[in-house]
Amino acid sequence: MERDNREVKVRTENLTKQFGDLLVLDNISFDVKKNEFLCVVGPTGCGKTTFLNCLTKIYTPSKGEIYIDGEPADPKRHNISFVFQEPSAFPWLTVRENLEFGLGVKKVDKKEIKSRVDKILDLMGLKDVENAYPRELSVSVEQRIIIGRSFVMQPDLLLMDEPYGQMDIKMRFYLEDEVIRLWKELGSTVIFITHNIEEAVYLAERVLILTNKPTTVKESLKIDLPHPRNIADPKFIQYRNYITEAIKWW
Amino acid sequence: MEKKKNSVMNIVCIILPVIAVLCIAIGWIAFSTANPRLMPGPVEVFQRFIRTFTNPVARVILPGHIWASLRRVLIGLIFAWIIGIGLGVLVGWNKKVRAVLGSVLELLRPIPPIAWIPLVIMWFGIGEFSKVFIVFIGTIFGLIVNTSAGIKLVDKINIDVGKIFGGNQRQILTEIVVPTALPSIFAGIRTSVSSGWTTVVAAEMLGAKAGLGSLVTKGWQGNDMALVLVAVISIAAIGALLSVLLSKLEKVVCPWNQI
Ligand SMILES: Nc1ncnc2c1ncn2[C@@H]1O[C@H](COP(=O)(O)OP(=O)(O)OP(=O)(O)O)[C@@H](O)[C@H]1O
Ligand SMILES: [Mg+2]
Repeated sequence: MERDNREVKVRTENLTKQFGDLLVLDNISFDVKKNEFLCVVGPTGCGKTTFLNCLTKIYTPSKGEIYIDGEPADPKRHNISFVFQEPSAFPWLTVRENLEFGLGVKKVDKKEIKSRVDKILDLMGLKDVENAYPRELSVSVEQRIIIGRSFVMQPDLLLMDEPYGQMDIKMRFYLEDEVIRLWKELGSTVIFITHNIEEAVYLAERVLILTNKPTTVKESLKIDLPHPRNIADPKFIQYRNYITEAIKWW
Repeated sequence: MEKKKNSVMNIVCIILPVIAVLCIAIGWIAFSTANPRLMPGPVEVFQRFIRTFTNPVARVILPGHIWASLRRVLIGLIFAWIIGIGLGVLVGWNKKVRAVLGSVLELLRPIPPIAWIPLVIMWFGIGEFSKVFIVFIGTIFGLIVNTSAGIKLVDKINIDVGKIFGGNQRQILTEIVVPTALPSIFAGIRTSVSSGWTTVVAAEMLGAKAGLGSLVTKGWQGNDMALVLVAVISIAAIGALLSVLLSKLEKVVCPWNQI
């Protein structure tokens, strides 16, 4: 395998997470490089969401530690954005206000907020509904709000937990290209969790394949194809089939 | 088909309240014509209404009585809102405060607002302060409980979003927790207005120079049924007006909740 000389952005060291007797993450260690696009795939319930929750301090690890830029991970210190698996737009804010929220918390300049939000509203196709409340919109539109709310932060570290699960295929392809564009433009580090193996191969520089519970890293697979990728390319299909097999046979 | 059903429903929804009011009016007219001694009819009540202006009760015309009651309620309620909602947020958000106040609240909340009247009169006499204080004490516990219940409704995922964006405790409280609770807070405000209004009228009936409650008592003691009815209808009308104003305000403050 090729060496990757980039600096380490996220270092996961002997991460273990138990819920009572249930051992979910079993002594996991891996690094994510700066500006890397990492996809994480694994069977349902193996602890993908749990890993992100440890990274953002929503959960406290049972053992081990996660470092961002060499310091213990802390959302107060690091510019992290998280697209949750479940709908999480604020129902009491309009679409525009939802997008402004994080920037307001970080006390970004008003003018800057407006220009960034305008851009993201366009990008996400939310311009027409900017004054609507999430409850008036469909789940897939709500998910776009949440994705927009993350993108607008121009995060250093973008965490996405099956963000496109609710989307129709056209929207999904469009947003896959957008996340790639954003990643290249901002130089963010992206950790992208997905069930969809084709999506993982389409997006990732590297795919982390997890095992069933108690979960360890089964394999870290570099996807050696240039972006933008062609899903009909035989090499692409080869990667896809390989990962599908790897998840099937633990 | 669906549309047709809807428009039929709409018409029914407009007609039914009209029918209900008509029924009460017809019942009133029927009852008063049958028993003119027990119940004055609408015409008589209207004439009595006019006389409250030409011939003021206790030197105060009807709007003056209305204002006397309204002022007591509003002052009492404003204090109850500020303190009750503030405490409710604390109780809902802070475990220690909840540990201290929670059981006290459970004890005090079921006391009906009117039950405070004799106690408060014994403590503070029958003056203006007592009446305002009765409204305050009669409504504050409900406000605290409604607010804290709303605060506890907050979705954990929304707090997580706030934390990940690096929000501090204060930002999470004011920008995520309180907005979540606003609909419940409003439910509490609505209850407080109606129970405050009832309480003040009851307190005035026990003794007051002016106020709608005092009109009821004066009419009652003077065997002036028409005056009692003028007062009762005013009480109902003001109550209804307050509730309409509140739902308008709620639409402005919590627009997302109307969808
Ligand atoms: N707060 C919690 N308390 C107890 N158990 C939990 C908790 N959170 C997660 N778990 C358990 O941990 C395991 C991993 O859950 P997690 O949500 O991380 O899986 P996942 O890989 O994200 O699954 P999915 O593919 O369905 O999103 C599951 O068995 C789940 O029941
Ligand atoms: Mg998950």
